[in-house]
Amino acid sequence: MVFPTVEFAIFFPIVLVLSWALMSRQHVWKPFMIAASYTFYSAANPLFCFLLAGITLGNHGASKLIHGSDDERFRRWVVGAAVALNLATLGVFKYYGFFAEEVNGVLDKVGLGVPVPLAAIALPIGISFIVFQAISYTVDVKRRVIEPASPIDVAVYLSFFSHLVAGPIVRAREFLPQLAAPRDPRKVALGAAVFLIIVGLIKKVAIADTLARELVDPVMAVPQDFSAPDVVLAAYGFVVQIFCDFSGYTDIAIGTALLLGFVFPQNFRSPLGATSFREFWQRWHITLTRFLRDFLYIPLGGSRGGKLLTARNIMITMVLGGLWHGAGWGFVLYGTILGAALVIEQYFRGLGWRLPKWLGWFIVFHVVALVGVFFRAPNLDIATTVLGRLAHPGPTTLWTLPVVAMVVGIVAMQCVPQRPLDALRVRIEQLHPVALGASMATAIVLVAATVSSQGVPPFIYFQF
Amino acid sequence: MTKRDPYILDRPTGRRVRVRDVLLCVGIAIVLLLLVEGASIRHTGKTMSPGIERTAVRAVGEPAGWVADRLPLSDAVDDMTGWLSPDDKLTGPGGFENAAIVEPAAGAGAPAPITPDYFDATKIGGKNVQLPKLRKLLVTGDSMSQPLDAELARSLTGSVQTVRDPHLGTAISRTDLVDWGKLSVRHATKTRPEAVVMFIGAGDAYPLPKPGGKTVECCGVEWAALYASRVRRMMDTYRRGGAARVYWLTLPFPRSEGGQKVVRTVNAAFAVAAQPYRSQVRLLDMANVFTPGQRFRTAMTIDGKQTIVRNPDGIHLSLAGARLAAELIEARLRADFRSIGG
Repeated sequence: MVFPTVEFAIFFPIVLVLSWALMSRQHVWKPFMIAASYTFYSAANPLFCFLLAGITLGNHGASKLIHGSDDERFRRWVVGAAVALNLATLGVFKYYGFFAEEVNGVLDKVGLGVPVPLAAIALPIGISFIVFQAISYTVDVKRRVIEPASPIDVAVYLSFFSHLVAGPIVRAREFLPQLAAPRDPRKVALGAAVFLIIVGLIKKVAIADTLARELVDPVMAVPQDFSAPDVVLAAYGFVVQIFCDFSGYTDIAIGTALLLGFVFPQNFRSPLGATSFREFWQRWHITLTRFLRDFLYIPLGGSRGGKLLTARNIMITMVLGGLWHGAGWGFVLYGTILGAALVIEQYFRGLGWRLPKWLGWFIVFHVVALVGVFFRAPNLDIATTVLGRLAHPGPTTLWTLPVVAMVVGIVAMQCVPQRPLDALRVRIEQLHPVALGASMATAIVLVAATVSSQGVPPFIYFQF
Repeated sequence: MTKRDPYILDRPTGRRVRVRDVLLCVGIAIVLLLLVEGASIRHTGKTMSPGIERTAVRAVGEPAGWVADRLPLSDAVDDMTGWLSPDDKLTGPGGFENAAIVEPAAGAGAPAPITPDYFDATKIGGKNVQLPKLRKLLVTGDSMSQPLDAELARSLTGSVQTVRDPHLGTAISRTDLVDWGKLSVRHATKTRPEAVVMFIGAGDAYPLPKPGGKTVECCGVEWAALYASRVRRMMDTYRRGGAARVYWLTLPFPRSEGGQKVVRTVNAAFAVAAQPYRSQVRLLDMANVFTPGQRFRTAMTIDGKQTIVRNPDGIHLSLAGARLAAELIEARLRADFRSIGG
């Protein structure tokens, strides 16, 4: 089920009413919320629910074993097995086809044939987010950061529909404490929730989908038909598209969770205004960045082993982070370039160099736009063709006023001080519930008018 | 200074309200949306695939649509927000909608005119006719036509203008999203391509109207005949009396048994529909290329290498599959037209 659809608009109010009606009876509320979330997830494919249930039971079992033992070797062994199983699940569904094709390609070249069977395996929606949250739970139990939760609490945590398919990656230590007591029905952040839902809808449907349709998709499909000015705008446009698509989803996810009484972590803080790569990662997909930091970069040694080892750890983290997005060389290149940028930046920072802020922003934005081409293009051939078109001056066929205004407007809004926008947000948040309801309906009607006859395309991050 | 724990969540800003205020807010929004968008919700329900979700949407949409029909709100909002819509309204002649019997296209009625390209000059010892020039190619259809359209456009770039016009989620047997009768007329009169590649039918299992107001369910011979009539009219429209060639792709068999039954009928309808037009409407047999013996397969050997040619959904072609299909189409285009680059 996708957020901006009629199906979700029917599903959510029913769940909202029943959730608050059952809130005081937690023994009923929790099974209800699991049932609602599994219903939400089954809309894509009911079979995926078995996978979700399996991940839940497996990680709950592992955490119980870990918690029940004082033998550090045993605890380490169990957590290792649990993480390996989680990653194996991810590997089979997400990377098997890529792995088989590449291995077969190499073996075939040296005359060993194609021994790995090929299969097109359907990717369960949001599998990466589910697996990462499951890992965070089991590892945090091992680290004694949290106590193991009851199986039903783990099931609520992993299946909670607001964050189920595309994050934010909510850590168990953030979510489970909120399950400890019923949410307070006298303290719902209605204004903040409605504001986020409205903003998320506008970002996703009115901006991201329009940019995709009018600008990015045509260039990425047949780059040969476009000259440098169009390609440049499409590269900028994709940065804005993916920001609006993903942060729009996150806004709606956080907003719906707030209406149900839950608080989720922020996932974006004006990343397109970042003036350094380090700052970019502190603002972009924040919950993934901190997951990679806590579960990969720091266990690898972080910045503790000198400059070379730090650079190695950054590169490993960033390449694997790139590969997390999908099985393809474009994603590897995406992670590699951004990792190299971080390493280079760190090197010069160590020398005491500081760039002017405007220059730092310019470099970061353009490197992000460059790697966006590898991220978006269906394969490396097309990505290189897109970049090759930069050497072909020609007419601007896609530079329409709405498209340019969207690209410039979204980037500019993140580069200016936040106060005017914050003031608007605070004003909307203070509105009376009736006015908020009317505002939400008006926003939905206006946003719906921008939907093409093809409907609302899936969120980009659904595939991850 | 103590370092802040990054896992203590930022509390949301703004005032806190009671749950009854939340329900009041959501209730107001729902009532307004039902009054304004009731007809759209009903329409959405009609276009969804059968299942629980469709039942739920229709249960809400039918009464909401009934109420919305009796209020002027919906039309007023449509008038106010129409400028935001990215779609051109599909108007004009040739629609299938409400047509129990599909009439022949305008100018048709007589058998298709026989033109020299019906004959293979080498076989009858005649002089070869000069092949026509291909300037504009239209690649269209439902979701099957993607990413085939981009593959063809990329490979023909520089020599042929390729117009890509996919309409996802549409079908010849349904007219609510896109009426292919009208769309084919618009393509033929406005786009005016010399060649059309059509790849459609993956979702074609909707009941078709027959004379007397009743409908026929997929996929018996009666449905196939009604369906083939629509297809034939589209083929006739696209060939523009012989001024254009149509390349109609048969559907590779899908993984699901239910889907295979539909595809078997749809492909048979394509074959029957194309009969009068011979070389002007060529059936390109993708079913046999990708699913020989009507048996689904995920991968096949291309250039000596096992390659995945179908998407995990078991219906659509993968990028590699679309590339292969594009190569086969391009080869056919080269045989039928001159001055195609490459």
